Amino acid sequence: MPLTDRGREILKRLPATHARSSGSIGCEIVRHEHLCVGCGTCARSCPTGASRRGDTFDVHQLLDAPAGSRRGELGAALRRLMRNDPSGPVEVPPRVTVYRTIVYDAERCIGCGTCARTCPVNAIEARPPEVRAAGDEGSPIANVTTAALSAETVS
Amino acid sequence: MTTATEAAEVGTGMAGGERSIVAFCCRECAYAAADTSANARTSLPPSVRLILLPCTGRVSPLHLLSALAEGADGVMVAGCLEGQCHYREGNFNAIDRVTFVQRLLESVGVEPERCRMFTMSAGEPPRFVAAVKEMDRVVGALPPLTRCAAGADPSATAVGAGDTAPGTRVGAARRSAGPALVAPGGEH
Repeated sequence: MPLTDRGREILKRLPATHARSSGSIGCEIVRHEHLCVGCGTCARSCPTGASRRGDTFDVHQLLDAPAGSRRGELGAALRRLMRNDPSGPVEVPPRVTVYRTIVYDAERCIGCGTCARTCPVNAIEARPPEVRAAGDEGSPIANVTTAALSAETVS
Repeated sequence: MTTATEAAEVGTGMAGGERSIVAFCCRECAYAAADTSANARTSLPPSVRLILLPCTGRVSPLHLLSALAEGADGVMVAGCLEGQCHYREGNFNAIDRVTFVQRLLESVGVEPERCRMFTMSAGEPPRFVAAVKEMDRVVGALPPLTRCAAGADPSATAVGAGDTAPGTRVGAARRSAGPALVAPGGEH
Protein backbone atom coordinates (compact mmCIF):
# COMPACT_ATOMS: atom_id res chain seq x y z
CA MET A 1 0.00 0.00 0.00
CA PRO A 2 1.65 3.24 -1.08
CA LEU A 3 1.94 5.94 1.51
CA THR A 4 0.71 9.47 1.23
CA ASP A 5 3.16 12.38 1.18
CA ARG A 6 2.32 13.09 4.80
CA GLY A 7 2.99 9.48 5.69
CA ARG A 8 6.38 9.65 4.03
CA GLU A 9 7.24 12.81 5.94
CA ILE A 10 6.46 11.09 9.23
CA LEU A 11 8.40 8.02 8.15
CA LYS A 12 11.50 10.12 7.49
CA ARG A 13 11.49 11.30 11.10
CA LEU A 14 11.29 7.80 12.53
CA PRO A 15 14.50 5.91 13.26
CA ALA A 16 15.43 3.54 10.47
CA THR A 17 14.92 0.39 12.50
CA HIS A 18 11.43 1.35 13.64
CA ALA A 19 9.72 -0.37 10.74
CA ARG A 20 11.74 -3.52 11.28
CA SER A 21 10.87 -3.78 14.96
CA SER A 22 7.17 -3.75 14.12
CA GLY A 23 7.47 -7.27 12.77
CA SER A 24 9.45 -8.06 9.71
CA ILE A 25 8.01 -10.32 7.03
CA GLY A 26 11.47 -11.41 6.21
CA CYS A 27 11.90 -11.96 2.50
CA GLU A 28 15.41 -11.36 1.36
CA ILE A 29 15.34 -8.57 -1.23
CA VAL A 30 17.88 -8.93 -4.00
CA ARG A 31 18.22 -6.07 -6.47
CA HIS A 32 19.62 -6.63 -9.95
CA GLU A 33 20.92 -3.19 -10.80
CA HIS A 34 21.76 -4.00 -14.41
CA LEU A 35 18.10 -4.77 -15.15
CA CYS A 36 16.73 -1.69 -13.37
CA VAL A 37 15.23 0.92 -15.69
CA GLY A 38 14.98 3.56 -12.98
CA CYS A 39 11.22 4.01 -13.24
CA GLY A 40 10.83 4.43 -9.48
CA THR A 41 7.82 2.15 -9.15
CA CYS A 42 9.48 0.34 -6.24
CA ALA A 43 10.10 3.67 -4.51
CA ARG A 44 6.44 4.61 -4.91
CA SER A 45 5.10 1.31 -3.66
CA CYS A 46 7.51 0.78 -0.76
CA PRO A 47 5.54 0.97 2.51
CA THR A 48 8.53 1.87 4.67
CA GLY A 49 10.52 4.13 2.35
CA ALA A 50 13.40 1.67 2.11
CA SER A 51 13.63 2.19 -1.67
CA ARG A 52 13.77 5.75 -2.89
CA ARG A 53 14.97 7.70 -5.86
CA GLY A 54 18.45 9.09 -5.36
CA ASP A 55 19.82 12.43 -6.53
CA THR A 56 22.67 10.95 -8.50
CA PHE A 57 23.12 8.51 -11.33
CA ASP A 58 25.87 5.96 -11.67
CA VAL A 59 27.06 6.00 -15.28
CA HIS A 60 28.10 2.35 -15.01
CA GLN A 61 24.40 1.47 -14.91
CA LEU A 62 24.15 2.67 -18.51
CA LEU A 63 27.28 0.90 -19.63
CA ASP A 64 26.29 -2.38 -17.96
CA ALA A 65 22.67 -2.33 -19.14
CA PRO A 66 21.63 -5.26 -21.37
CA ALA A 67 21.81 -4.62 -25.10
CA GLY A 68 18.48 -3.82 -26.70
CA SER A 69 17.01 -2.09 -23.69
CA ARG A 70 16.57 1.67 -23.65
CA ARG A 71 19.38 2.16 -21.17
CA GLY A 72 21.49 -0.26 -23.18
CA GLU A 73 21.06 1.88 -26.32
CA LEU A 74 22.10 4.98 -24.43
CA GLY A 75 25.01 3.08 -22.93
CA ALA A 76 26.10 1.87 -26.37
CA ALA A 77 26.10 5.44 -27.69
CA LEU A 78 28.05 6.61 -24.66
CA ARG A 79 30.55 3.79 -24.98
CA ARG A 80 31.34 4.82 -28.54
CA LEU A 81 32.13 8.32 -27.34
CA MET A 82 33.90 7.68 -24.09
CA ARG A 83 37.54 8.57 -23.68
CA ASN A 84 37.96 7.39 -20.13
CA ASP A 85 36.02 5.40 -17.60
CA PRO A 86 33.25 7.33 -15.82
CA SER A 87 34.69 9.40 -13.03
CA GLY A 88 31.88 8.63 -10.62
CA PRO A 89 28.18 9.24 -10.17
CA VAL A 90 26.75 12.30 -11.90
CA GLU A 91 24.25 14.63 -10.31
CA VAL A 92 20.85 14.49 -12.00
CA PRO A 93 18.80 17.63 -12.72
CA PRO A 94 15.33 17.56 -11.11
CA ARG A 95 13.32 17.04 -14.30
CA VAL A 96 15.28 14.01 -15.44
CA THR A 97 13.35 11.28 -13.69
CA VAL A 98 14.32 7.99 -15.23
CA TYR A 99 18.09 8.18 -15.04
CA ARG A 100 18.45 7.97 -11.30
CA THR A 101 19.97 5.36 -9.10
CA ILE A 102 17.41 3.81 -6.78
CA VAL A 103 18.76 3.98 -3.25
CA TYR A 104 17.89 0.89 -1.23
CA ASP A 105 18.15 1.09 2.53
CA ALA A 106 18.32 -2.43 3.99
CA GLU A 107 17.83 -1.06 7.52
CA ARG A 108 14.34 0.16 6.69
CA CYS A 109 13.33 -2.85 4.62
CA ILE A 110 10.83 -5.24 6.20
CA GLY A 111 11.11 -7.71 3.35
CA CYS A 112 7.46 -7.53 2.31
CA GLY A 113 8.29 -8.02 -1.38
CA THR A 114 5.93 -5.31 -2.65
CA CYS A 115 8.75 -3.85 -4.74
CA ALA A 116 9.39 -7.24 -6.35
CA ARG A 117 5.72 -7.59 -7.25
CA THR A 118 5.44 -4.12 -8.76
CA CYS A 119 8.77 -4.03 -10.58
CA PRO A 120 7.92 -3.97 -14.31
CA VAL A 121 11.22 -5.48 -15.42
CA ASN A 122 11.70 -8.05 -12.63
CA ALA A 123 14.87 -6.39 -11.44
CA ILE A 124 13.99 -7.10 -7.81
CA GLU A 125 13.81 -10.56 -6.39
CA ALA A 126 12.19 -11.40 -3.06
CA ARG A 127 13.44 -14.67 -1.69
CA PRO A 128 11.29 -16.15 1.04
CA PRO A 129 13.45 -17.36 3.94
CA GLU A 130 12.32 -20.99 3.93
CA VAL A 131 13.04 -21.41 0.23
CA ARG A 132 16.42 -19.79 0.71
CA ALA A 133 17.24 -22.26 3.50
CA ALA A 134 16.24 -25.22 1.34
CA GLY A 135 18.13 -24.18 -1.80
CA ASP A 136 21.83 -24.45 -2.26
CA GLU A 137 23.18 -20.89 -2.22
CA GLY A 138 26.31 -21.70 -4.13
CA SER A 139 25.08 -22.94 -7.48
CA PRO A 140 23.45 -20.65 -10.07
CA ILE A 141 20.86 -23.30 -10.93
CA ALA A 142 19.59 -23.30 -7.37
CA ASN A 143 19.33 -19.52 -7.53
CA VAL A 144 17.19 -19.71 -10.66
CA THR A 145 14.90 -22.19 -8.95
CA THR A 146 14.72 -19.93 -5.94
CA ALA A 147 13.84 -16.99 -8.17
CA ALA A 148 11.09 -18.95 -9.91
CA LEU A 149 9.73 -20.20 -6.60
CA SER A 150 9.84 -16.79 -5.01
CA ALA A 151 8.06 -15.23 -7.99
CA GLU A 152 5.28 -17.78 -7.54
CA THR A 153 5.17 -17.51 -3.80
CA VAL A 154 5.18 -13.74 -3.66
CA SER A 155 2.99 -12.77 -6.56
CA MET B 1 16.47 8.52 -33.11
CA THR B 2 16.03 7.81 -36.78
CA THR B 3 16.08 11.48 -37.58
CA ALA B 4 19.25 11.99 -35.59
CA THR B 5 20.93 9.08 -37.32
CA GLU B 6 19.87 10.30 -40.74
CA ALA B 7 21.10 13.79 -40.06
CA ALA B 8 24.40 12.47 -38.81
CA GLU B 9 24.63 10.32 -41.94
CA VAL B 10 24.21 13.40 -44.07
CA GLY B 11 26.87 15.03 -41.95
CA THR B 12 29.43 12.27 -42.39
CA GLY B 13 28.79 12.24 -46.11
CA MET B 14 30.33 15.66 -46.40
CA ALA B 15 33.86 16.41 -47.46
CA GLY B 16 36.60 15.39 -45.04
CA GLY B 17 37.37 17.83 -42.31
CA GLU B 18 33.90 19.34 -42.42
CA ARG B 19 32.08 19.64 -39.13
CA SER B 20 28.55 18.56 -38.61
CA ILE B 21 26.22 20.04 -36.04
CA VAL B 22 22.74 18.70 -35.46
CA ALA B 23 20.26 21.31 -34.31
CA PHE B 24 17.03 20.07 -32.75
CA CYS B 25 14.60 22.93 -33.27
CA CYS B 26 11.26 23.60 -31.69
CA ARG B 27 8.51 24.13 -34.28
CA GLU B 28 7.00 27.06 -32.43
CA CYS B 29 10.08 29.24 -32.13
CA ALA B 30 13.52 28.18 -33.35
CA TYR B 31 12.35 26.52 -36.55
CA ALA B 32 10.16 29.52 -37.33
CA ALA B 33 13.14 31.77 -36.65
CA ALA B 34 15.25 29.63 -38.99
CA ASP B 35 12.55 29.90 -41.65
CA THR B 36 12.46 33.67 -41.36
CA SER B 37 16.22 33.94 -41.50
CA ALA B 38 16.25 31.76 -44.62
CA ASN B 39 13.63 33.99 -46.24
CA ALA B 40 15.84 36.96 -45.49
CA ARG B 41 18.66 35.08 -47.29
CA THR B 42 20.87 34.99 -44.23
CA SER B 43 23.42 32.25 -44.63
CA LEU B 44 23.93 29.67 -41.90
CA PRO B 45 27.20 27.80 -41.38
CA PRO B 46 27.24 24.82 -43.78
CA SER B 47 27.83 22.41 -40.90
CA VAL B 48 24.40 22.71 -39.35
CA ARG B 49 21.57 20.23 -39.94
CA LEU B 50 18.16 21.25 -38.67
CA ILE B 51 15.74 18.73 -37.23
CA LEU B 52 12.17 19.79 -36.64
CA LEU B 53 10.55 18.84 -33.37
CA PRO B 54 7.04 19.73 -32.22
CA CYS B 55 8.57 20.92 -28.96
CA THR B 56 12.03 20.62 -27.45
CA GLY B 57 10.40 18.59 -24.68
CA ARG B 58 10.44 15.72 -27.19
CA VAL B 59 14.21 15.51 -27.16
CA SER B 60 15.61 12.69 -25.08
CA PRO B 61 19.17 11.99 -23.91
CA LEU B 62 19.19 9.14 -26.41
CA HIS B 63 18.61 11.53 -29.34
CA LEU B 64 21.46 13.76 -28.25
CA LEU B 65 23.96 11.02 -27.48
CA SER B 66 23.19 8.88 -30.52
CA ALA B 67 23.59 11.91 -32.81
CA LEU B 68 27.04 12.45 -31.32
CA ALA B 69 27.87 8.74 -31.50
CA GLU B 70 26.76 8.43 -35.12
CA GLY B 71 28.84 11.25 -36.49
CA ALA B 72 27.75 14.69 -35.31
CA ASP B 73 30.46 16.86 -33.76
CA GLY B 74 28.03 18.97 -31.81
CA VAL B 75 24.37 18.87 -30.89
CA MET B 76 22.30 21.91 -30.12
CA VAL B 77 18.75 22.16 -28.91
CA ALA B 78 16.99 25.38 -29.79
CA GLY B 79 13.78 26.04 -27.94
CA CYS B 80 11.52 28.76 -26.66
CA LEU B 81 12.39 31.31 -24.02
CA GLU B 82 11.90 30.20 -20.43
CA GLY B 83 8.26 30.37 -19.53
CA GLN B 84 7.10 30.78 -23.12
CA CYS B 85 6.88 27.15 -24.15
CA HIS B 86 3.85 26.42 -26.29
CA TYR B 87 3.33 23.26 -24.22
CA ARG B 88 4.07 25.04 -20.94
CA GLU B 89 7.10 23.14 -19.66
CA GLY B 90 8.68 21.35 -22.59
CA ASN B 91 11.72 23.57 -22.75
CA PHE B 92 12.40 23.15 -19.03
CA ASN B 93 12.47 19.39 -19.58
CA ALA B 94 14.83 19.91 -22.50
CA ILE B 95 17.15 22.14 -20.46
CA ASP B 96 17.45 19.51 -17.74
CA ARG B 97 18.02 16.71 -20.24
CA VAL B 98 20.72 18.71 -21.99
CA THR B 99 22.35 19.37 -18.61
CA PHE B 100 22.18 15.65 -17.86
CA VAL B 101 23.82 14.78 -21.18
CA GLN B 102 26.51 17.39 -20.54
CA ARG B 103 27.30 15.78 -17.19
CA LEU B 104 27.33 12.32 -18.77
CA LEU B 105 29.76 13.51 -21.43
CA GLU B 106 31.93 15.22 -18.86
CA SER B 107 32.13 12.08 -16.73
CA VAL B 108 33.45 10.02 -19.65
CA GLY B 109 35.97 12.65 -20.70
CA VAL B 110 34.17 14.31 -23.63
CA GLU B 111 33.82 18.08 -23.75
CA PRO B 112 30.37 19.06 -22.45
CA GLU B 113 30.28 22.04 -24.85
CA ARG B 114 29.38 19.63 -27.62
CA CYS B 115 25.81 19.60 -26.37
CA ARG B 116 24.11 22.92 -25.70
CA MET B 117 20.70 24.41 -25.26
CA PHE B 118 19.72 27.79 -26.72
CA THR B 119 16.50 29.65 -26.18
CA MET B 120 14.94 32.24 -28.45
CA SER B 121 11.56 33.46 -29.62
CA ALA B 122 10.09 33.05 -33.09
CA GLY B 123 10.61 36.70 -33.87
CA GLU B 124 14.39 36.61 -33.41
CA PRO B 125 16.04 35.18 -36.52
CA PRO B 126 19.35 36.98 -35.79
CA ARG B 127 19.49 35.29 -32.43
CA PHE B 128 19.05 31.89 -34.04
CA VAL B 129 21.79 32.61 -36.57
CA ALA B 130 24.05 33.87 -33.78
CA ALA B 131 23.38 30.69 -31.76
CA VAL B 132 24.25 28.44 -34.69
CA LYS B 133 27.41 30.42 -35.45
CA GLU B 134 28.41 30.33 -31.80
CA MET B 135 27.93 26.56 -31.70
CA ASP B 136 29.90 26.16 -34.94
CA ARG B 137 32.74 28.26 -33.57
CA VAL B 138 32.89 26.48 -30.21
CA VAL B 139 32.75 23.00 -31.75
CA GLY B 140 35.29 23.97 -34.40
CA ALA B 141 37.75 24.99 -31.70
CA LEU B 142 37.49 21.63 -29.92
CA PRO B 143 39.77 18.70 -30.75
CA PRO B 144 38.13 16.16 -33.07
CA LEU B 145 35.73 13.72 -31.48
CA THR B 146 36.98 10.16 -31.62
CA ARG B 147 34.58 7.23 -31.67
CA CYS B 148 35.12 3.56 -31.45
CA ALA B 149 33.09 1.22 -33.60
CA ALA B 150 29.73 0.04 -32.33
CA GLY B 151 29.99 -3.06 -30.19
CA ALA B 152 33.62 -2.49 -29.35
CA ASP B 153 35.00 -4.04 -26.22
CA PRO B 154 34.49 -1.61 -23.34
CA SER B 155 37.86 -2.40 -21.79
CA ALA B 156 39.54 -1.29 -24.99
CA THR B 157 37.77 2.06 -25.00
CA ALA B 158 39.50 3.12 -21.82
CA VAL B 159 42.71 3.75 -23.79
CA GLY B 160 41.49 7.26 -23.96
CA ALA B 161 44.00 9.23 -26.00
CA GLY B 162 42.34 11.36 -28.62
CA ASP B 163 44.99 10.63 -31.23
CA THR B 164 44.60 6.85 -31.11
CA ALA B 165 43.13 5.55 -34.33
CA PRO B 166 39.70 4.14 -33.52
CA GLY B 167 40.36 1.09 -35.69
CA THR B 168 43.00 -0.15 -33.30
CA ARG B 169 40.61 -0.05 -30.39
CA VAL B 170 38.01 -2.41 -31.79
CA GLY B 171 37.84 -5.48 -29.60
CA ALA B 172 35.56 -8.48 -29.61
CA ALA B 173 32.10 -7.55 -30.80
CA ARG B 174 29.81 -7.97 -27.81
CA ARG B 175 26.54 -7.33 -29.56
CA SER B 176 25.43 -7.38 -33.15
CA ALA B 177 25.07 -3.83 -34.37
CA GLY B 178 24.39 -2.30 -37.72
CA PRO B 179 27.23 -1.17 -39.93
CA ALA B 180 29.15 1.68 -38.41
CA LEU B 181 28.20 4.95 -40.04
CA VAL B 182 31.50 6.53 -39.19
CA ALA B 183 34.49 5.30 -41.13
CA PRO B 184 37.17 4.28 -38.61
CA GLY B 185 39.60 6.77 -40.01
CA GLY B 186 39.25 9.39 -37.31
CA GLU B 187 38.57 12.45 -39.44
CA HIS B 188 35.78 13.51 -37.16
